[in-house]
Amino acid sequence: MGVKIGIMSMAHMHAYSYADAVRSMPNAELAGIADHDTDRAIETATTFETTAFARYADLLRTDIDAVIIGSENVRHRELCEMAADAGKHVLCEKPLATSVEDGQAMIAACRKRQVQLMTAFPCRFSPAMGRLRTTVIDGAAGSILAIRGTNRGRCPFGWFVQTELSGGGAVIDHTVHVTDLMRWLTGSEVVEVYAEISNRMFGQDFDDTGFLNLRFANGVFASLDTSWSRPKSFPTWGDVTMAVVCDRGTLTLDMFAQNLVLYSDKSGATSWSHWGDNIDRLMLEAFVSAIADGQPVPITGEDGLRAAEVALAAYRSAETGEPVVL
Amino acid sequence: MLKVAMFGAGGMGTNHARAYARMPGVAVVGVMDHNRDAADRLADAVGARGFTSAGEMFDTISFDIVDVCVPTPWHAEYVCLAAEREVAGIVVEKPMGRTIEDCDRMIEACQRRKIPLFPAHVLRFFPEFAAARRQVDSGVIGDVASVRTRRGGPFPRAWENWYGKPSLSGGVILDLIIHDFDWLRWTFGEVDRVFARCLSAGKHEVDKDYALVTLRFRSGVVGHVEGTWADPGGFKVGIEVAGREGLIELNFNQPASPAFTAAISGPVGAGPGVAVPENPTAESPYYLELEHFISSIRSGTPPAITAEDGRAAVQIAAAALESAETGRPVHIV
Repeated sequence: MGVKIGIMSMAHMHAYSYADAVRSMPNAELAGIADHDTDRAIETATTFETTAFARYADLLRTDIDAVIIGSENVRHRELCEMAADAGKHVLCEKPLATSVEDGQAMIAACRKRQVQLMTAFPCRFSPAMGRLRTTVIDGAAGSILAIRGTNRGRCPFGWFVQTELSGGGAVIDHTVHVTDLMRWLTGSEVVEVYAEISNRMFGQDFDDTGFLNLRFANGVFASLDTSWSRPKSFPTWGDVTMAVVCDRGTLTLDMFAQNLVLYSDKSGATSWSHWGDNIDRLMLEAFVSAIADGQPVPITGEDGLRAAEVALAAYRSAETGEPVVL
Repeated sequence: MLKVAMFGAGGMGTNHARAYARMPGVAVVGVMDHNRDAADRLADAVGARGFTSAGEMFDTISFDIVDVCVPTPWHAEYVCLAAEREVAGIVVEKPMGRTIEDCDRMIEACQRRKIPLFPAHVLRFFPEFAAARRQVDSGVIGDVASVRTRRGGPFPRAWENWYGKPSLSGGVILDLIIHDFDWLRWTFGEVDRVFARCLSAGKHEVDKDYALVTLRFRSGVVGHVEGTWADPGGFKVGIEVAGREGLIELNFNQPASPAFTAAISGPVGAGPGVAVPENPTAESPYYLELEHFISSIRSGTPPAITAEDGRAAVQIAAAALESAETGRPVHIV
């Protein structure tokens, strides 16, 4: 028997990929799915051949070791605190929280019950990202001076654009992945955020365009495009890219550039079909082995909170038109 | 026959002089450069006389057009000098001036004598950039929300490392991505505010530069311009415009194959050859740019790029430089 994992809410589409990954691992078991949407609990439990729970408390009363929280962003805190109280380790979908207070409460709850809290940042497990980080650590390129990053996508709509459930639009959805990669790469924290944010893509009451400029404690400056700017006709869902400018050159990453190009008369479209590694699975493997071996998880709740703070600061900067100091 | 006098026999001066030399009804008659060898070499190549001082050139030959391709901080000096003569038109390489005050001096000097002053924003004559603007204007991607450009490659080496001295060149922000500022303003209208960071801010001399500039246009469009002199991997440009009904991109999301590549082995023992990708076009954008100005002089119609356009691009760059120095957004009034 491996590590028994339950999923708390399938609201986020990534939870489906995590469920697949857990089921494919020899040392893990998908022990159940709970959801406040009972129909979704039953439907997804059937799909993933596991037990459905209408109430989170019922899932937490079972002998599972850990949970994956895949709910709407604003529910992360409540579900995390429930899981921690029940003594279950937590892998929480990003962004960790929609307020600093919520994130701190989640970290405190897990610490108090001595369970581990990991933030779901699968991009750290990309082999191309690994090559980038190794190259930086090797030192041949010299130290990092500046970084240009992008994480664009199509607008996911649904609860992602209901800000009372998501905590914001494109900026809170897409700031955290690359901010986390930049922190990991530089070993430094963001100390200042400037942002231009707009809603011109859809003209509705959620932000769909975010151009952030970050300054790190070690002097590195960076920009990050978080926009939901990929059209429906774009050949893939979006991107994660970085140009890392160093003393002796520039290192570039296009994380999901490992594609076949598919020209289909059936769909009438051209699309990119990804052949690279499944980084969700690589992340789940790291989580499960940390839990199984009693080792610290590789990405913490603090990591999640630091990245979320940058997104929250970006909103404050856009409101005031001034850089925000963290 | 329109006779051209050139100031500056460096890379861009050579480029311009060679374009004039093969233009029907146009001849280069003089090339001035402080470097005697450079002046004579270019003069020989285009059938002109070489000079090492402006006074000598002005006193010796007669000419109709002056083309100023000296390093940026001396643009105003030579343009104003030329404007004291009976000339039909003046071309000034981009950036038009090192400062807005320089631009104002040139505009005033040329206006007084009613001399057309043409800032050489050649990007408008690059077919891919002209086509991208036409696509945006056509409305095929709907209302635009955001635009990104990127430009740059290795650090440029030139006379006394003047590119590496921000006080002279203005770094990548003024010297390089002013191309993008002009194209963006041409395509998306006036810029409201600018936030920028760059490696050369506050430095006396650099051997690389990199800038990330965020723009907010009056229309509400958000822009991002990346400029690099820190990429030994070769010169690259890219455009991406995101609209409500689609996206236009050039070299952004997938590397577009160039239309022609020559990959040729080096001599035996000399190691591998270098592949040089090209996108050949029937005519060079530099030729098209200068030909446009020459025909506007002949027909007496205003050129498509005005001195005010050149000044406006410098103003965006100056705002970006100020923002990079102060760490604050700068509003353009």
